[in-house]
Amino acid sequence: MAGIRPGQFVMLKVPSSEVFLRRPFSVYDYRRGLLSVLYKVAGKGTAALAQGRARQRVMVLGPLGNGFTVLAGHEAIVVAGGIGIAGVSLLWSKLRGKKSLFWGCASDAEAGLVNDMISCEPYVSTMDGSLGCKGSVVDLLSQHITALKRPAQVFACGPEPMFVSLRDLLKGERIPCQVLLEERMACGLGICFGCVRKTLDEAEPYKRVCKEGPVFDLWQISL
Amino acid sequence: MNASGTLGYGSEIEPLWTVDTLGAYVSKGLSLLPHHGNPPPRLWEEASALINSVGLQNIGVKRFFEEKFPLFEQRNTPVIVNFFGFTEEDYVRCAEAIGAHSLIVALEINLSCPNIKAGGICLGKEAEAVFRVVRKVKEATPLPLVAKLTPEVTDIVGIARAAFEAGADGINVLNTFPAAAVDIESKALALRGGLSGPFLKPLALRSVADISRSIPIPVIGTGGIMDHRDALSFLMAGAAAVQVGTATFVDPFAIPRIIRGIDAFLDARRIARLDEIIGTARA
Repeated sequence: MAGIRPGQFVMLKVPSSEVFLRRPFSVYDYRRGLLSVLYKVAGKGTAALAQGRARQRVMVLGPLGNGFTVLAGHEAIVVAGGIGIAGVSLLWSKLRGKKSLFWGCASDAEAGLVNDMISCEPYVSTMDGSLGCKGSVVDLLSQHITALKRPAQVFACGPEPMFVSLRDLLKGERIPCQVLLEERMACGLGICFGCVRKTLDEAEPYKRVCKEGPVFDLWQISL
Repeated sequence: MNASGTLGYGSEIEPLWTVDTLGAYVSKGLSLLPHHGNPPPRLWEEASALINSVGLQNIGVKRFFEEKFPLFEQRNTPVIVNFFGFTEEDYVRCAEAIGAHSLIVALEINLSCPNIKAGGICLGKEAEAVFRVVRKVKEATPLPLVAKLTPEVTDIVGIARAAFEAGADGINVLNTFPAAAVDIESKALALRGGLSGPFLKPLALRSVADISRSIPIPVIGTGGIMDHRDALSFLMAGAAAVQVGTATFVDPFAIPRIIRGIDAFLDARRIARLDEIIGTARA
């Protein structure tokens, strides 16, 4: 797996007979042959994964999908909502040049989970105000965006409402923005056509998140 | 073989194994014109099963032959073209649009389309409608025709017989079962679609055994095959060939693994030809 690009993902076979299909996870980090994923327990698959033992073998399929495209000469603005930090962390660690990280969480408890893994001081917001700025991460970004240098490009991963707010914030200037989408998947390879996302392409609106994505142009997806 | 719609257009699996691994590639269900399919969500996982509501998204016959078929020529891999329509006329026009080619060994007519409200669902449920559409398609194409049946019928042998009497050259049993899932958080029907996966095996096996005993054309066994033991069960029950679907989502190497498993089984018992086991379990 030498050539993992930030934004790509892997399918993990959760070691539990209760979990039928593989599960997709962003590559959180990859160095010296060690691949890390960061996840939040949200359902049966992640709950079973969390109960795995140390050194337990897990089948990994990947790297899969298309990663982020970094534009030359652009200042990078990385925006993450909650566990969406897992999708942009590898990108953040590889970005050279001027960059800023905006991270929004529900509370300081969520932010604290990966506090020590992020080797920078991000702009942080929490919905309950327990850490950093109170409010959403896009509110926080809106307070700083005019001060950031142009040309700029945005990379984002997080929940759907965050993408909608981002679109509203960025549309005036049409700043290039790539978003990493999440969707339930069966195969991860593009063979089942189950994980599609509606785009503005009228000829072929439904694009596979696993194959044409998971990184999409914010201005191409239907929100 | 793969089951239609579970191996994309073939090219997607090539980073893992080449399509000439297959006895034949069964195309994603094609329509005369491109079809967008259903809006997401399209998937719901159950215990050992999957509900899908892809809705037969496909690029249409024309683009399939322009863009996807060259791979099978390059790999010299036989192709079974699965196709569907929303009316009898659609089926006929679609079949007509598929030209003869030495690598196209058969057409496979999807008589279920359980995901789409119009047309498809009715056609496969009534023997008379099956007879009519199969007859018309046979008149429109010189290619061998496999009728892929829906399990949502009261007398599947009767449906198979209607297809046979109309001129079908083979029967594929079976397609997904109509199913639904409820999301208890949103208190909503999360998905209506077709159910597939290993639970289907004994149900499909019963139909294969019954149909292969009653109808004198080859039967393809499809439904819940996860390993070579499942595949061998279908062959012994009377299937001349099998198709593997959902297993590929669980393990993308399922098809090559099953093929190796069948070979090893035959070798260990000094059985020279697969034909020797076909139908041996027909009581």
